Order: sequence, then C-alpha cells, then structure tokens
Amino acid sequence: MTDTSTDDEREQVSVPSEIEFPRLLDFYDLQTADQTQIHEFYDNLRAGQLTTTRCTDCEAIHFPPRIVCPECTGDALEYVDLPHDGELFAFSAVRGGLPLGLREHEVPYVVGVVDLGPVRLSGRIDDAAYSDLEIGDSVSLKIVDIDGPTDEDRVFYRFEPQ
Amino acid sequence: MTATRNVAIVGGGQTTWGERDATWKDLAQEGGKATFDAVPGVGPDDVEGLFVGAVQPERFANQTHVAPLVAELLGIEVTEMIARTELACASGQAALRYAWLAIAAGQLDVALVLGVEKMNLGREHMPEVQSSMANVLDREFDGVNGLAAPPFFAWYAQRHMHEFGTTREQLSLVAAKNKTNASRTDFAQFQSTVDPDEVTDSPEIAPPLHLYDCSGITDGAAGAILMSEEKAREVTDTAAWITGSGQSTMAGNSINNLPSFSGWPQAREASQNAYDQAGIDDPLAEIDVAEVHDCFSISEIIEYEELGFAERGEGGQFIEDGRSHLDGDVAVNPRGGLLGCGHPLGATGVSQALEITQQFQGDVTNDRQVDDAATGLIHNLSGSGSVHSVMVLDRDPQ
Repeated sequence: MTDTSTDDEREQVSVPSEIEFPRLLDFYDLQTADQTQIHEFYDNLRAGQLTTTRCTDCEAIHFPPRIVCPECTGDALEYVDLPHDGELFAFSAVRGGLPLGLREHEVPYVVGVVDLGPVRLSGRIDDAAYSDLEIGDSVSLKIVDIDGPTDEDRVFYRFEPQ
Repeated sequence: MTATRNVAIVGGGQTTWGERDATWKDLAQEGGKATFDAVPGVGPDDVEGLFVGAVQPERFANQTHVAPLVAELLGIEVTEMIARTELACASGQAALRYAWLAIAAGQLDVALVLGVEKMNLGREHMPEVQSSMANVLDREFDGVNGLAAPPFFAWYAQRHMHEFGTTREQLSLVAAKNKTNASRTDFAQFQSTVDPDEVTDSPEIAPPLHLYDCSGITDGAAGAILMSEEKAREVTDTAAWITGSGQSTMAGNSINNLPSFSGWPQAREASQNAYDQAGIDDPLAEIDVAEVHDCFSISEIIEYEELGFAERGEGGQFIEDGRSHLDGDVAVNPRGGLLGCGHPLGATGVSQALEITQQFQGDVTNDRQVDDAATGLIHNLSGSGSVHSVMVLDRDPQ
C-alpha cells in the first residue's frame, strides 16, 4: 500500500466519551398515569401503603399488580392493602457484579423473598448482614424515594428486620 | 403431539468457548464453519431453514435481526423458514425445537441451528452485562432489586438445604464433577480439574454459592445440522433422533408466581411429556447420558429429582453416591456442563445436543465416552426457572 496520507490530513469523526445515564436504562419504571396503567399502585405506595390488585369477578389477588386478571381475564380489578409485616422466606447477598445504575450502592447488600401472607415478593433487606439473618425472621416494609434521571417523584419499597 | 416424520441431528461443531478476542459476527462465522466442516456432504447450499439461538445481541453486540445476518455470513439462501429464537438460557434448545417441528411437519428437509452469544465486553462493561442479565426477570419488580442470576439461584440452594438437608459438600461434588469432566473437552472455557474442597474454598459470590458453583460468562457459538430421515441416511449411519420434546411454564415468571423455591415442577412436567412421547417409563434405567442445565451447582441437584433420576429431596445423596458420574447410573454432563464449558446463552442447548449426538457416534474427544450410549436427553431452564425445556434423543428412530 502506498502511503498517500498522514494522520494529520485525515478528517476526525468524534463520538462522545460520556453520556448522561439514560432514563431507559434506569431500573425504576415511570410511575404516573400518563406512563402506566398501574399508577394507582405507585400512588398508594407514595401515600405510604403497599397495595396490589384483586379481581372483583374471581377474587384472585395478584402480584405484581395487573390490569387484566390472569386467572379469569376479567378487567374489573380493585386495589387492596397488603400487610407491611412478613417473614423472610429466602435470602442471599449481592457482593458484586452490580447492574448498571446500581454501582453506587453499598455492597454487599441482602436481597430476599418476603412472604407477606397473600403474596411473596422479592426485595432488598436493608440494615442487615447476611450472617445476621435466618429463614423465618420477621421483616417490615419501608418505602424509599428514588432520586434518578427524571423529574418525576418516584418511590419503591424495601424491607428491614423488625 | 406426535411428530409426523423422523428428524435427526446428524452432527455439528462449535467454536472455542471462553473470553474470546472476537465479535458476535466472528463467532457466528466460526461456528458455522465448524458445523459444515464436521458434516461432510452438507453445505450452505443444502440448508433450507435457519434457526439462530441468540439471547441478547441487542444488548451485548448492539445488533438485532441477526438471523438474516447469519444467513449472509454463511452464504445460506433460505428457501423455507428463518427465525431467531429468544428464550433466555434455553434459546438454543428453542431453536432446535423449531427446526425439529419444521422438518417433522414436512416444511423442509435440512436445517441449520446456530446458537451464538458474545458476552465478554471487558471488565469496565460488566455493569452493562449484569444489567442485561437482570432484565431476564420482571424488570419492574424483581430486576429492580439488583437481582441477577447468582442471588436468585442462591435462594434455591438455601431452600433446598433448609427443606431437605442438602449439604455444602454435595454442591461442591457437582461442581467438581462437571469441571473435571470439562478438562476432557477441548472447546471448554474451564479446563482444569477441580476437587470439591477447591469449590468450597473458592470466593463467596452469593451465599451459599461460591465462585465455582457458578457457570461462566462466555463467548461462543455452536451449530447443528438437522435433517429428515431420507436426507440423514445419505450423510451418516449414526445420528441423534429426536424422539420426544416438552416444555412447561406454570404461568409463573415473577417471584410471587413461581410454584416452588426448592424445586421445578415445570421440569417434571416438561420431562414427563417428553418421556411419554419417547416411550420412556423409567428414566433412570433408560437414559444413558444427560446434558442438564447446571447454571449453578444447585440446579443439577434439583434436576436429578425433577427429571426422575432421584426422589424429591434426594438429589444431594444422588451425587454423593456417584450415580451421575461418567460410569454411574446416568452420565450427567459428560461434556462438563455449563459449570465447566461456560454458558454462551444461545449456544448452550445446541452444544448439549451435539454432545449427545457425538456420544452416540463414538466421536467425543479423549476420555469422556459413555459406554454404549443409546438414549440421552438435554434439559434447559430459562429466566427465573419459569420455563423448562427437555428433548429426548435416541440412537435409533422409533
């Protein structure tokens, strides 16, 4: 190949080395009525109460909340309160390998399955080390505000030992 | 269902698996070449259907619509059917299943199934990779908790230990068996023999699981050629005939809707359906070799139980008694499993099927041949274990 050009003569094409954290990669969903039809779940949580949907036709209780009942395909659903106290059903600890957007959080943290009675859900267990916990321990819900790449006020739930 | 025509996996090939200095497209080409090189008499011009197992090319390689891309890279002019399958960790087996049904139904006679995954993007991109893995669960309610695979499967280990008394040592025996088997597999990511103490002493990842309880993050591809009986007879005397195939979900994917945290009734249902089709009454007596989804050591222990090799709760004792070793009652993961070979998501099921095919053909490398292997199975779980897929393979069509 004949050397007919040098680096100095080449036009430079630039791509950004940094971008702001994209909202679409943020794990927390948008929570308002213009974004999701389960906004009432988030409205209730923002007001301090964990709720979920119950089918008024077949009485099935769902979690996560739905807009169509998976048991009977009815869509007459109502929001009902869930207990805030439950039992630790299973748990482990996340020590590394964090997903994008969670790398700032403190590791290790405990993540478990909490049995609230009507439903079981996954959740982070705050203020506890893995070695402090046992299956069957009592835990209580706490609600946290999410500060992220959107102006919307967002909330989510976690648990902590009683 | 009853398949209307016999379908054979006649052979195939794979790339070297591991942390590869190669792109997604490089791996697809290597895997395609290895497959055609391994099956004399079949080339790109013979392929009428192409099925590409790929889980996250959008996230790991910024590429979508990958099946036509593979067709171009391998010079395949598809005349009958082309699709990419995504079923998380079972995508490769899903592709095999599509190809099987297309041939059984008479739509086509020759298919290439190629599984490809590029996962190692450099340490600095690990958060992006893990972010993609957490998306496999319901992102809004489960992935949001930073729930990638290790802590999720750690719950199953914890519950199995809690409910049945399974021991840390029994988990280590599974990992040591599979990693040691992989030392005899030339394409495997991990080729060192490992003893059980080394598993227990490896760093804790998500308690009670340690590093060697976990499959790797792997780049790789695997391809297989599937043919109708008429075509298969032209190219080989010995093949793996698909005699049964089952899949089961139980309408559960989110944490609240999973039927169990110490077992997988979906695997029991999927395998029972596959056994019924294949005419298998006693899987432990009739299955010679099984490639099962040991994404984590605990997974294989539960699978012994749900696939019908051991009673519920006795999977730990099954490995302790050596019954899943190469010379045991059923040789489980002679290839080395996901723990030894690594787990390039879309390629895994295809590689498992190739291992069974090559076991039948007496064509496995070195010292991992199972004596007189005539009946085998492959098993994959995917996502939150919400789907289980099982395929029964036999040296003779039935």
